[in-house]
Amino acid sequence: MSSKKIVNIIAYIFVAVILIFVFTKGKPVEKPASSEIYSMNTICDLEIYGKDKEAALQKSVSIINTINSIVDDFSPQSDVYKINENAGIRPVKVSKTTIDILEKAIQIAKQTNGAFDPTIRPLLVIWGFKNKNYRVPTEEKIKAALKLISYQDIVINKEDNTVFLKHKGEGIDLGGIAKGYTLDKIKEALDNFNIKSALINMGGNVLTYKNPPNGSVWRIGIKNPRGSGIRGIITVKGTKFISTSGDYERYFIKNGVRYCHIINPKTGKPARKIISITVVSDKGYLGDALSTAFFVKGKEFALQNATRFNVGVVGFDDKMTPFISNNIKELITIYNEAR
Amino acid sequence: MKQGDKFVLYGLIVLAFILLIEYGFFQRRSDKVVVIRSDGKIVKELPISKDTLFEVKSKEGHLSVEIKNGKVRVINSTCKDKFCEKEGWISNIGESIICLPNRISISIIGKNGEKIDTITY
Repeated sequence: MSSKKIVNIIAYIFVAVILIFVFTKGKPVEKPASSEIYSMNTICDLEIYGKDKEAALQKSVSIINTINSIVDDFSPQSDVYKINENAGIRPVKVSKTTIDILEKAIQIAKQTNGAFDPTIRPLLVIWGFKNKNYRVPTEEKIKAALKLISYQDIVINKEDNTVFLKHKGEGIDLGGIAKGYTLDKIKEALDNFNIKSALINMGGNVLTYKNPPNGSVWRIGIKNPRGSGIRGIITVKGTKFISTSGDYERYFIKNGVRYCHIINPKTGKPARKIISITVVSDKGYLGDALSTAFFVKGKEFALQNATRFNVGVVGFDDKMTPFISNNIKELITIYNEAR
Repeated sequence: MKQGDKFVLYGLIVLAFILLIEYGFFQRRSDKVVVIRSDGKIVKELPISKDTLFEVKSKEGHLSVEIKNGKVRVINSTCKDKFCEKEGWISNIGESIICLPNRISISIIGKNGEKIDTITY
Protein backbone atom coordinates (compact mmCIF):
# COMPACT_ATOMS: atom_id res chain seq x y z
CA MET A 1 0.00 0.00 0.00
CA SER A 2 1.36 3.42 -0.87
CA SER A 3 1.73 6.01 1.86
CA LYS A 4 -0.67 8.23 -0.06
CA LYS A 5 -3.36 5.62 0.22
CA ILE A 6 -2.79 5.27 3.97
CA VAL A 7 -3.13 9.02 4.40
CA ASN A 8 -6.41 8.87 2.51
CA ILE A 9 -7.75 6.04 4.66
CA ILE A 10 -6.81 7.88 7.85
CA ALA A 11 -8.51 10.99 6.52
CA TYR A 12 -11.72 9.08 5.78
CA ILE A 13 -11.68 7.42 9.21
CA PHE A 14 -11.17 10.85 10.75
CA VAL A 15 -14.20 12.22 8.93
CA ALA A 16 -16.27 9.17 9.87
CA VAL A 17 -15.40 9.51 13.58
CA ILE A 18 -16.38 13.16 13.59
CA LEU A 19 -19.68 12.42 11.84
CA ILE A 20 -20.45 9.61 14.30
CA PHE A 21 -19.70 11.97 17.19
CA VAL A 22 -22.00 14.60 15.75
CA PHE A 23 -24.89 12.24 15.09
CA THR A 24 -24.70 10.41 18.41
CA LYS A 25 -24.53 13.69 20.31
CA GLY A 26 -27.84 14.76 18.87
CA LYS A 27 -28.93 18.12 17.70
CA PRO A 28 -27.69 21.13 19.58
CA VAL A 29 -30.34 22.66 21.79
CA GLU A 30 -31.75 25.81 20.28
CA LYS A 31 -31.87 28.93 22.37
CA PRO A 32 -35.26 29.56 23.93
CA ALA A 33 -37.15 32.80 23.83
CA SER A 34 -37.05 33.67 27.50
CA SER A 35 -38.11 36.34 29.93
CA GLU A 36 -38.14 36.99 33.64
CA ILE A 37 -40.89 39.32 34.77
CA TYR A 38 -42.31 40.44 38.09
CA SER A 39 -46.08 40.21 38.18
CA MET A 40 -48.85 38.83 40.40
CA ASN A 41 -46.75 39.55 43.45
CA THR A 42 -44.12 37.08 42.35
CA ILE A 43 -41.44 36.24 39.82
CA CYS A 44 -42.40 34.63 36.51
CA ASP A 45 -39.86 32.80 34.37
CA LEU A 46 -40.74 31.86 30.82
CA GLU A 47 -38.71 29.71 28.39
CA ILE A 48 -40.24 28.83 25.03
CA TYR A 49 -38.79 26.73 22.19
CA GLY A 50 -40.01 26.34 18.63
CA LYS A 51 -40.63 28.29 15.45
CA ASP A 52 -43.10 30.81 16.92
CA LYS A 53 -41.24 31.23 20.22
CA GLU A 54 -40.91 35.03 20.08
CA ALA A 55 -44.59 35.59 19.28
CA ALA A 56 -45.65 33.00 21.86
CA LEU A 57 -43.47 34.66 24.51
CA GLN A 58 -45.01 38.05 23.82
CA LYS A 59 -48.49 36.58 24.01
CA SER A 60 -47.71 34.75 27.27
CA VAL A 61 -46.32 37.88 28.91
CA SER A 62 -49.39 39.84 27.87
CA ILE A 63 -51.66 37.13 29.33
CA ILE A 64 -49.83 37.41 32.66
CA ASN A 65 -50.09 41.20 32.68
CA THR A 66 -53.75 41.17 31.67
CA ILE A 67 -54.81 38.73 34.38
CA ASN A 68 -52.66 40.57 36.92
CA SER A 69 -54.47 43.81 36.10
CA ILE A 70 -57.76 42.04 36.89
CA VAL A 71 -56.83 40.28 40.14
CA ASP A 72 -54.44 42.84 41.67
CA ASP A 73 -56.45 43.88 44.72
CA PHE A 74 -54.15 46.83 45.39
CA SER A 75 -54.91 48.51 42.08
CA PRO A 76 -58.11 50.64 42.09
CA GLN A 77 -58.53 49.81 38.39
CA SER A 78 -58.75 46.04 38.97
CA ASP A 79 -62.00 44.11 38.94
CA VAL A 80 -61.21 42.49 42.27
CA TYR A 81 -60.57 45.88 43.91
CA LYS A 82 -63.87 47.24 42.59
CA ILE A 83 -65.81 44.16 43.74
CA ASN A 84 -64.31 44.44 47.23
CA GLU A 85 -64.89 48.20 47.48
CA ASN A 86 -68.54 47.72 46.54
CA ALA A 87 -69.21 44.73 48.80
CA GLY A 88 -72.69 45.06 50.27
CA ILE A 89 -73.31 48.15 48.14
CA ARG A 90 -73.77 47.32 44.48
CA PRO A 91 -72.91 44.80 41.75
CA VAL A 92 -69.83 45.69 39.69
CA LYS A 93 -69.39 45.21 35.97
CA VAL A 94 -66.35 43.00 35.34
CA SER A 95 -64.54 41.25 32.50
CA LYS A 96 -65.47 37.75 31.34
CA THR A 97 -62.10 36.50 32.61
CA THR A 98 -62.96 37.64 36.14
CA ILE A 99 -66.24 35.74 36.00
CA ASP A 100 -64.47 32.67 34.63
CA ILE A 101 -61.87 32.66 37.44
CA LEU A 102 -64.54 33.24 40.08
CA GLU A 103 -66.71 30.41 38.76
CA LYS A 104 -63.75 28.04 38.90
CA ALA A 105 -62.85 29.26 42.38
CA ILE A 106 -66.41 28.71 43.61
CA GLN A 107 -66.48 25.25 42.02
CA ILE A 108 -63.37 24.19 43.99
CA ALA A 109 -64.64 25.87 47.14
CA LYS A 110 -67.77 23.68 46.86
CA GLN A 111 -65.79 20.52 46.09
CA THR A 112 -63.48 21.04 49.07
CA ASN A 113 -66.25 22.10 51.48
CA GLY A 114 -64.73 25.53 51.73
CA ALA A 115 -61.16 24.49 52.55
CA PHE A 116 -60.31 26.69 49.60
CA ASP A 117 -62.35 29.88 49.73
CA PRO A 118 -61.88 32.90 47.44
CA THR A 119 -63.51 35.17 50.04
CA ILE A 120 -60.58 34.67 52.45
CA ARG A 121 -59.47 38.31 52.20
CA PRO A 122 -60.79 39.65 55.56
CA LEU A 123 -58.70 37.01 57.36
CA LEU A 124 -55.57 37.83 55.37
CA VAL A 125 -56.08 41.47 56.31
CA ILE A 126 -56.36 40.95 60.07
CA TRP A 127 -53.28 38.69 60.13
CA GLY A 128 -51.35 41.38 58.27
CA PHE A 129 -50.61 39.31 55.17
CA LYS A 130 -51.97 42.05 52.93
CA ASN A 131 -49.73 44.89 54.08
CA LYS A 132 -46.84 42.81 55.53
CA ASN A 133 -47.60 44.23 58.96
CA TYR A 134 -47.80 40.74 60.47
CA ARG A 135 -49.62 40.31 63.78
CA VAL A 136 -51.65 37.77 65.75
CA PRO A 137 -55.20 39.15 65.93
CA THR A 138 -57.46 38.83 68.96
CA GLU A 139 -60.05 36.01 69.09
CA GLU A 140 -62.82 38.61 68.73
CA LYS A 141 -61.28 39.94 65.55
CA ILE A 142 -60.92 36.42 64.16
CA LYS A 143 -64.56 35.64 65.01
CA ALA A 144 -65.75 38.82 63.31
CA ALA A 145 -63.68 38.11 60.18
CA LEU A 146 -64.88 34.49 60.01
CA LYS A 147 -68.46 35.77 59.57
CA LEU A 148 -67.32 37.48 56.37
CA ILE A 149 -65.81 34.35 54.82
CA SER A 150 -68.38 32.76 52.53
CA TYR A 151 -67.98 31.87 48.88
CA GLN A 152 -71.78 31.49 48.75
CA ASP A 153 -71.98 35.27 49.09
CA ILE A 154 -70.43 35.81 45.66
CA VAL A 155 -73.32 36.65 43.32
CA ILE A 156 -72.45 36.32 39.65
CA ASN A 157 -74.76 37.68 36.97
CA LYS A 158 -73.57 36.37 33.62
CA GLU A 159 -76.12 38.34 31.60
CA ASP A 160 -74.92 41.71 32.85
CA ASN A 161 -71.36 40.51 33.55
CA THR A 162 -71.54 41.70 37.13
CA VAL A 163 -70.26 40.39 40.45
CA PHE A 164 -71.64 41.31 43.85
CA LEU A 165 -70.54 40.45 47.38
CA LYS A 166 -73.59 40.33 49.63
CA HIS A 167 -72.19 41.94 52.77
CA LYS A 168 -70.05 44.94 53.56
CA GLY A 169 -66.56 44.01 54.66
CA GLU A 170 -66.42 40.89 52.55
CA GLY A 171 -63.55 40.63 50.10
CA ILE A 172 -62.17 38.41 47.38
CA ASP A 173 -58.58 37.26 47.13
CA LEU A 174 -57.60 35.17 44.12
CA GLY A 175 -54.00 34.57 45.16
CA GLY A 176 -54.72 30.85 45.55
CA ILE A 177 -55.95 30.28 42.01
CA ALA A 178 -54.92 33.14 39.70
CA LYS A 179 -51.42 31.87 38.90
CA GLY A 180 -52.66 28.40 38.04
CA TYR A 181 -55.46 29.90 35.96
CA THR A 182 -52.93 32.06 34.13
CA LEU A 183 -50.88 28.97 33.30
CA ASP A 184 -54.03 27.41 31.78
CA LYS A 185 -54.46 30.46 29.56
CA ILE A 186 -50.78 30.39 28.56
CA LYS A 187 -51.10 26.69 27.71
CA GLU A 188 -54.13 27.44 25.50
CA ALA A 189 -52.19 30.22 23.79
CA LEU A 190 -49.15 27.99 23.17
CA ASP A 191 -51.46 25.45 21.50
CA ASN A 192 -52.21 28.06 18.84
CA PHE A 193 -48.54 28.58 18.00
CA ASN A 194 -45.90 26.34 16.48
CA ILE A 195 -44.15 25.56 19.77
CA LYS A 196 -42.00 22.50 20.50
CA SER A 197 -41.45 22.96 24.19
CA ALA A 198 -41.95 25.46 26.99
CA LEU A 199 -41.35 25.82 30.70
CA ILE A 200 -43.21 28.49 32.65
CA ASN A 201 -42.68 29.06 36.36
CA MET A 202 -44.94 31.57 38.10
CA GLY A 203 -43.84 31.84 41.68
CA GLY A 204 -43.38 28.08 42.04
CA ASN A 205 -46.45 27.17 39.95
CA VAL A 206 -44.99 25.32 37.01
CA LEU A 207 -46.27 24.54 33.52
CA THR A 208 -44.29 21.98 31.55
CA TYR A 209 -45.36 22.17 27.93
CA LYS A 210 -44.76 19.16 25.65
CA ASN A 211 -41.33 17.55 26.02
CA PRO A 212 -38.18 19.26 27.29
CA PRO A 213 -35.82 20.55 24.58
CA ASN A 214 -33.08 18.08 25.52
CA GLY A 215 -34.85 14.92 26.61
CA SER A 216 -38.09 13.16 27.26
CA VAL A 217 -38.82 13.97 30.92
CA TRP A 218 -38.97 17.17 32.90
CA ARG A 219 -37.24 17.16 36.26
CA ILE A 220 -38.94 19.46 38.74
CA GLY A 221 -37.21 20.02 42.07
CA ILE A 222 -39.32 20.19 45.23
CA LYS A 223 -37.95 22.98 47.36
CA ASN A 224 -36.73 22.09 50.82
CA PRO A 225 -39.36 23.66 53.12
CA ARG A 226 -36.85 24.00 55.94
CA GLY A 227 -33.68 25.58 54.61
CA SER A 228 -31.95 25.72 51.29
CA GLY A 229 -31.74 23.18 48.50
CA ILE A 230 -34.30 20.66 47.31
CA ARG A 231 -35.86 17.69 49.06
CA GLY A 232 -37.07 15.75 46.08
CA ILE A 233 -37.66 15.52 42.37
CA ILE A 234 -40.80 15.02 40.34
CA THR A 235 -40.30 13.67 36.85
CA VAL A 236 -43.13 14.43 34.47
CA LYS A 237 -43.72 13.76 30.79
CA GLY A 238 -45.45 16.19 28.48
CA THR A 239 -47.83 18.96 29.44
CA LYS A 240 -48.48 19.14 33.20
CA PHE A 241 -49.12 21.68 35.93
CA ILE A 242 -47.26 21.50 39.23
CA SER A 243 -48.30 23.68 42.18
CA THR A 244 -47.04 23.80 45.74
CA SER A 245 -48.43 25.30 48.93
CA GLY A 246 -46.24 25.50 51.99
CA ASP A 247 -45.75 27.32 55.27
CA TYR A 248 -42.32 28.66 54.29
CA GLU A 249 -43.06 31.12 51.50
CA ARG A 250 -44.84 33.87 53.40
CA TYR A 251 -44.90 33.56 57.16
CA PHE A 252 -43.91 35.19 60.40
CA ILE A 253 -42.72 33.73 63.67
CA LYS A 254 -44.00 35.10 66.96
CA ASN A 255 -43.07 33.63 70.36
CA GLY A 256 -41.62 30.61 68.61
CA VAL A 257 -44.81 29.85 66.66
CA ARG A 258 -44.84 29.90 62.88
CA TYR A 259 -47.83 31.65 61.28
CA CYS A 260 -48.06 31.08 57.51
CA HIS A 261 -50.13 32.93 54.92
CA ILE A 262 -52.49 30.04 54.18
CA ILE A 263 -55.36 30.52 56.58
CA ASN A 264 -57.95 27.89 57.38
CA PRO A 265 -61.28 29.49 56.34
CA LYS A 266 -63.07 27.52 59.08
CA THR A 267 -60.88 28.40 62.08
CA GLY A 268 -59.57 31.75 60.91
CA LYS A 269 -56.03 30.71 61.84
CA PRO A 270 -53.02 29.77 59.74
CA ALA A 271 -53.14 26.11 58.69
CA ARG A 272 -50.49 23.96 60.31
CA LYS A 273 -51.40 20.33 59.65
CA ILE A 274 -48.60 19.88 57.15
CA ILE A 275 -45.46 21.72 56.04
CA SER A 276 -45.94 21.58 52.28
CA ILE A 277 -47.86 19.88 49.52
CA THR A 278 -47.29 19.69 45.79
CA VAL A 279 -50.08 18.85 43.34
CA VAL A 280 -49.48 17.49 39.83
CA SER A 281 -52.48 18.02 37.56
CA ASP A 282 -53.76 18.50 34.03
CA LYS A 283 -55.37 21.84 34.85
CA GLY A 284 -53.48 24.78 36.29
CA TYR A 285 -56.32 26.36 38.26
CA LEU A 286 -57.21 23.00 39.77
CA GLY A 287 -53.67 22.24 40.97
CA ASP A 288 -53.18 25.74 42.34
CA ALA A 289 -56.44 25.87 44.32
CA LEU A 290 -56.22 22.22 45.43
CA SER A 291 -52.71 22.67 46.82
CA THR A 292 -54.19 25.36 49.09
CA ALA A 293 -57.20 23.23 50.06
CA PHE A 294 -55.01 20.17 50.70
CA PHE A 295 -52.61 22.26 52.76
CA VAL A 296 -55.53 23.33 54.94
CA LYS A 297 -57.12 19.87 55.19
CA GLY A 298 -53.92 17.91 55.71
CA LYS A 299 -52.35 14.64 54.63
CA GLU A 300 -55.24 12.16 54.95
CA PHE A 301 -57.69 14.32 53.03
CA ALA A 302 -55.12 14.96 50.30
CA LEU A 303 -54.26 11.27 49.86
CA GLN A 304 -57.94 10.22 49.93
CA ASN A 305 -59.05 12.86 47.45
CA ALA A 306 -56.18 12.82 44.94
CA THR A 307 -57.88 10.35 42.60
CA ARG A 308 -61.27 12.06 42.91
CA PHE A 309 -59.73 15.18 41.41
CA ASN A 310 -57.48 13.19 39.06
CA VAL A 311 -54.32 14.72 40.51
CA GLY A 312 -51.16 13.42 42.13
CA VAL A 313 -49.88 14.73 45.45
CA VAL A 314 -46.55 14.69 47.26
CA GLY A 315 -45.99 16.49 50.52
CA PHE A 316 -44.31 16.70 53.89
CA ASP A 317 -46.33 16.35 57.08
CA ASP A 318 -45.72 18.37 60.25
CA LYS A 319 -42.76 16.14 61.15
CA MET A 320 -41.22 16.49 57.65
CA THR A 321 -42.16 12.88 56.84
CA PRO A 322 -42.91 12.63 53.13
CA PHE A 323 -46.19 11.26 51.77
CA ILE A 324 -47.06 10.48 48.15
CA SER A 325 -50.33 9.46 46.48
CA ASN A 326 -50.22 6.03 44.81
CA ASN A 327 -50.91 7.39 41.33
CA ILE A 328 -47.57 9.25 41.12
CA LYS A 329 -45.33 7.06 43.32
CA GLU A 330 -43.09 6.13 40.39
CA LEU A 331 -42.56 9.78 39.42
CA ILE A 332 -41.19 10.93 42.77
CA THR A 333 -37.73 10.76 44.29
CA ILE A 334 -37.44 12.00 47.86
CA TYR A 335 -34.06 12.73 49.43
CA ASN A 336 -33.43 12.05 53.10
CA GLU A 337 -31.77 15.41 53.40
CA ALA A 338 -31.67 18.62 51.44
CA ARG A 339 -29.49 18.64 48.35
CA MET B 1 -6.45 9.54 -5.92
CA LYS B 2 -8.21 11.54 -8.56
CA GLN B 3 -8.56 15.31 -8.40
CA GLY B 4 -12.33 15.02 -7.81
CA ASP B 5 -11.89 12.59 -4.91
CA LYS B 6 -9.56 15.05 -3.24
CA PHE B 7 -12.15 17.80 -3.45
CA VAL B 8 -14.76 15.52 -1.94
CA LEU B 9 -12.41 14.51 0.87
CA TYR B 10 -11.30 18.06 1.71
CA GLY B 11 -14.89 19.18 1.49
CA LEU B 12 -15.89 16.52 3.99
CA ILE B 13 -13.10 17.49 6.38
CA VAL B 14 -14.17 21.15 6.29
CA LEU B 15 -17.82 20.14 6.73
CA ALA B 16 -16.93 17.90 9.67
CA PHE B 17 -15.10 20.77 11.38
CA ILE B 18 -18.03 23.11 10.85
CA LEU B 19 -20.35 20.54 12.39
CA LEU B 20 -18.01 20.04 15.34
CA ILE B 21 -17.94 23.75 16.07
CA GLU B 22 -21.70 23.93 15.63
CA TYR B 23 -22.20 21.07 18.05
CA GLY B 24 -20.04 22.61 20.69
CA PHE B 25 -17.10 20.20 20.67
CA PHE B 26 -14.56 22.93 21.22
CA GLN B 27 -16.56 24.71 23.88
CA ARG B 28 -15.07 24.53 27.32
CA ARG B 29 -17.04 22.09 29.40
CA SER B 30 -18.85 24.66 31.49
CA ASP B 31 -19.26 23.90 35.13
CA LYS B 32 -21.98 25.54 37.20
CA VAL B 33 -22.55 29.19 36.40
CA VAL B 34 -24.23 31.76 38.63
CA VAL B 35 -26.61 34.00 36.68
CA ILE B 36 -27.67 37.27 38.27
CA ARG B 37 -30.71 39.10 36.96
CA SER B 38 -31.78 42.56 38.04
CA ASP B 39 -35.20 43.89 36.97
CA GLY B 40 -35.48 40.88 34.66
CA LYS B 41 -32.22 41.46 32.80
CA ILE B 42 -29.03 39.44 33.14
CA VAL B 43 -26.39 41.65 34.76
CA LYS B 44 -23.73 39.09 35.70
CA GLU B 45 -22.64 35.55 34.88
CA LEU B 46 -19.92 34.07 37.08
CA PRO B 47 -18.37 30.64 37.54
CA ILE B 48 -19.42 29.13 40.86
CA SER B 49 -15.90 27.78 41.34
CA LYS B 50 -14.36 31.19 41.94
CA ASP B 51 -14.92 32.69 45.40
CA THR B 52 -16.08 36.29 45.28
CA LEU B 53 -18.22 38.92 46.97
CA PHE B 54 -20.12 41.58 45.04
CA GLU B 55 -23.05 44.03 45.00
CA VAL B 56 -26.12 43.80 42.78
CA LYS B 57 -28.24 46.88 42.21
CA SER B 58 -31.77 47.24 40.90
CA LYS B 59 -34.20 50.13 40.66
CA GLU B 60 -35.68 49.06 43.98
CA GLY B 61 -32.57 48.45 46.05
CA HIS B 62 -29.42 46.41 46.30
CA LEU B 63 -27.95 43.33 47.95
CA SER B 64 -24.62 41.57 48.38
CA VAL B 65 -23.93 38.16 46.94
CA GLU B 66 -21.25 35.80 48.14
CA ILE B 67 -19.87 32.90 46.13
CA LYS B 68 -17.78 30.51 48.21
CA ASN B 69 -16.78 26.84 47.99
CA GLY B 70 -19.11 26.21 45.08
CA LYS B 71 -22.13 27.74 46.81
CA VAL B 72 -23.97 31.06 46.58
CA ARG B 73 -25.87 33.13 49.12
CA VAL B 74 -27.27 36.59 49.68
CA ILE B 75 -25.93 38.71 52.51
CA ASN B 76 -27.22 42.18 53.38
CA SER B 77 -30.27 42.95 51.32
CA THR B 78 -31.95 46.34 51.51
CA CYS B 79 -35.36 44.64 51.33
CA LYS B 80 -37.78 44.45 54.24
CA ASP B 81 -38.65 40.78 54.53
CA LYS B 82 -35.09 39.37 54.09
CA PHE B 83 -36.35 36.07 52.65
CA CYS B 84 -33.39 36.15 50.28
CA GLU B 85 -30.97 36.22 53.21
CA LYS B 86 -32.87 33.50 55.10
CA GLU B 87 -32.67 31.28 52.02
CA GLY B 88 -29.04 30.51 52.86
CA TRP B 89 -26.64 28.76 50.51
CA ILE B 90 -27.69 27.22 47.20
CA SER B 91 -25.54 24.99 45.03
CA ASN B 92 -27.71 22.84 42.72
CA ILE B 93 -28.23 23.46 39.04
CA GLY B 94 -31.76 24.83 38.69
CA GLU B 95 -31.84 26.39 42.15
CA SER B 96 -32.34 30.09 42.67
CA ILE B 97 -32.63 32.77 45.30
CA ILE B 98 -35.21 35.39 44.52
CA CYS B 99 -35.43 38.77 46.19
CA LEU B 100 -38.94 39.86 45.20
CA PRO B 101 -38.88 43.36 46.71
CA ASN B 102 -35.58 44.18 45.00
CA ARG B 103 -36.48 42.29 41.82
CA ILE B 104 -33.16 40.48 41.79
CA SER B 105 -32.73 36.77 41.10
CA ILE B 106 -29.69 34.55 41.45
CA SER B 107 -29.84 31.20 39.72
CA ILE B 108 -27.43 28.36 39.06
CA ILE B 109 -27.24 26.91 35.59
CA GLY B 110 -24.81 24.44 34.09
CA LYS B 111 -24.09 21.11 32.49
CA ASN B 112 -22.26 19.01 35.02
CA GLY B 113 -23.99 17.62 38.03
CA GLU B 114 -27.57 16.68 38.66
CA LYS B 115 -29.82 18.80 36.51
CA ILE B 116 -33.22 20.17 37.47
CA ASP B 117 -35.39 22.00 34.94
CA THR B 118 -37.07 24.19 37.53
CA ILE B 119 -38.29 24.22 41.12
CA THR B 120 -41.79 24.19 42.60
CA TYR B 121 -42.27 26.02 45.89
